[in-house]
Amino acid sequence: MRVAVIGAGVIGLSTAQSIYEQYHGQVRPLTIEVYADRFTPLTTSDGAAGFWQPYLYDKGNAEETKWNKETFDYLLSFLHSPDAIKMGIFLQSGYNLCTESAPDPSFKDIVLGFRQLTDRELEMFPGYSHGWFNTALMVEGKSYLPWLMDWLIQRGVKFYDRKINSFQELADSGAQVIINCSGVRSGELQPDPELQPGRGQILKVDAPWIKHWILTHNFTKGTYNSPYIIPGSRLVTVGGVFQLGNWSEMNSSGDHKKIWEEACELEPSLTHARIVEDWTGLRPVRGRVRLERESIQSGPRTIEVIHNYGHGGYGLTIHRGCAQEAARLFGEILKLTRWETKSHL
Amino acid sequence: MTPLLTDIQLERQRRWFKESFDHLLAIAQSSTCGETGVILSSGYQVFKEVPAERRPYWAEYVLGFRDLSDREMKRFPGHKFGQAFTTVKCECTTYLPWLEKRFRKAGGEIQQGKVSDLQHLADSYDIVVNCSGLGARSLVGDATVHPVRGQILKFHAPWVKNFIRDGDGHTYIYPGVNSVTLGGTRQAGDWRLQVDAGDREGILERCFRLDPSLRGGRVLGEWVGLRPGRESPRVEVEQLKTPGGREVPLVHNYGHGGWGVSLAWGTALDALGLVRQALNQRPPMARL
Repeated sequence: MRVAVIGAGVIGLSTAQSIYEQYHGQVRPLTIEVYADRFTPLTTSDGAAGFWQPYLYDKGNAEETKWNKETFDYLLSFLHSPDAIKMGIFLQSGYNLCTESAPDPSFKDIVLGFRQLTDRELEMFPGYSHGWFNTALMVEGKSYLPWLMDWLIQRGVKFYDRKINSFQELADSGAQVIINCSGVRSGELQPDPELQPGRGQILKVDAPWIKHWILTHNFTKGTYNSPYIIPGSRLVTVGGVFQLGNWSEMNSSGDHKKIWEEACELEPSLTHARIVEDWTGLRPVRGRVRLERESIQSGPRTIEVIHNYGHGGYGLTIHRGCAQEAARLFGEILKLTRWETKSHL
Repeated sequence: MTPLLTDIQLERQRRWFKESFDHLLAIAQSSTCGETGVILSSGYQVFKEVPAERRPYWAEYVLGFRDLSDREMKRFPGHKFGQAFTTVKCECTTYLPWLEKRFRKAGGEIQQGKVSDLQHLADSYDIVVNCSGLGARSLVGDATVHPVRGQILKFHAPWVKNFIRDGDGHTYIYPGVNSVTLGGTRQAGDWRLQVDAGDREGILERCFRLDPSLRGGRVLGEWVGLRPGRESPRVEVEQLKTPGGREVPLVHNYGHGGWGVSLAWGTALDALGLVRQALNQRPPMARL
């Protein structure tokens, strides 16, 4: 069985991992090939802060909350393993701040030690009247992705530096199942009006005295359009903007200025920090993640595709749950294939 | 760990702690915390056995103090009870130079030298404030002051963002600005300033057990300090008789044990009050 994965961000790599984990014993041979024109450290997953947290509210999408929880618990299980640091996984506590009273977030029971902020704590953040404290996980793309690639390479998964222009192209070369993890550019393979870039720009800053993440939520400005400060293992990620429909991957001075000023207001000690670099990434935004099978007719042939894209700003947060679900869908295809094979006897 | 204190002593200690904490918290919140070495730090205190005192006196003064849930305790096998809170960490290697700068800017003078005779010194001053720590044992003859030896390691593990300490006080992991402090030891009566290899191995082994991710780090340095142990800090005034026949107030502020940073500002404020009082009560004297 030949499986082609399009995309080598966290979604592509983790989906390849889940499929290998679940089926390499059953399906022999199982050939998995990853095709991408961007690899770590240049993917969207690499530039992200690596902070596990979904959007505040899942708006009834219980499936995504389930996948988020699965991912959190999965990453947490590695915490005491010797690989944790190589994987870029560690715990960090911090503050979610709101400008007005708000219901508890959907992830309150997933994270560790979730609680309301006390009045004294809120005094530390003028302008914010409500909020929560919890301990969450960090999973830094720049460590996690190389670890995943290593894991896959050791198990015989092959990588190809090649931009794929159509599912057909892969099917022609012999791929029996295609896993589409092409993120924000999925529309180039198959138009999807629901998929849009959610442009984000961040500053990487040297401020090692900051030991908590701080995320602000302004319900008028929208998700990620108000300041956030997320310390990493080396530098602090400062954001943010969320510009729907903006395809520019260039850093903008205007955004830089806005992000910096707002972050310094939130955390005055940043004023003395050294700014190391800016980075821009395009979140693959969609109303909900597209995680489903599609059988595409191409002449006499049926191309089996599993779509796994559109994870917005929560790709790292949800990746494992989605990868496992994609593997489950792969299992469905296997059952069908065997059935079809049997019917030929 | 905290010695049994009388009600008055406890009241004073609470006030010292609260004032010190609020003072440091204000600095941690300001824009200067990069220069001062004072940072906000959240983390856990865990106990192998449920302690008799489940809620220490300082619980209301730190931020967000709460007990750990069963789920959180799973991270600490071998421990039955735990607490989480947010406090401040004050790195004196940065904080002291910053304080000294402020002191000099306000007109203060620093003279380097060892004082062995307080009475002689007092002849040249209107008031003396004794902050000699462990040295008070010989300087003022306070035999209750004794060293409590502490060994630590400075460790590189920048992914460690939360502190963890064992409630017995012998094992702690304190992430600082540029390194993580791993400790420790509490050896009463031990004057050794040299690093002890056995202590080092013990500290690393216990810290690695508390946070296995530390194994991915490396040692940057080691250090030994002698805590100025005493039943409780001595903050009081007495009168010194100088060789010249004068009476000079001597305000004591020493004996903070392992609670120097935690009580410094509060005890300093008390000492300041004693200084003011003493200077106001001094009868005007003609200087001939």
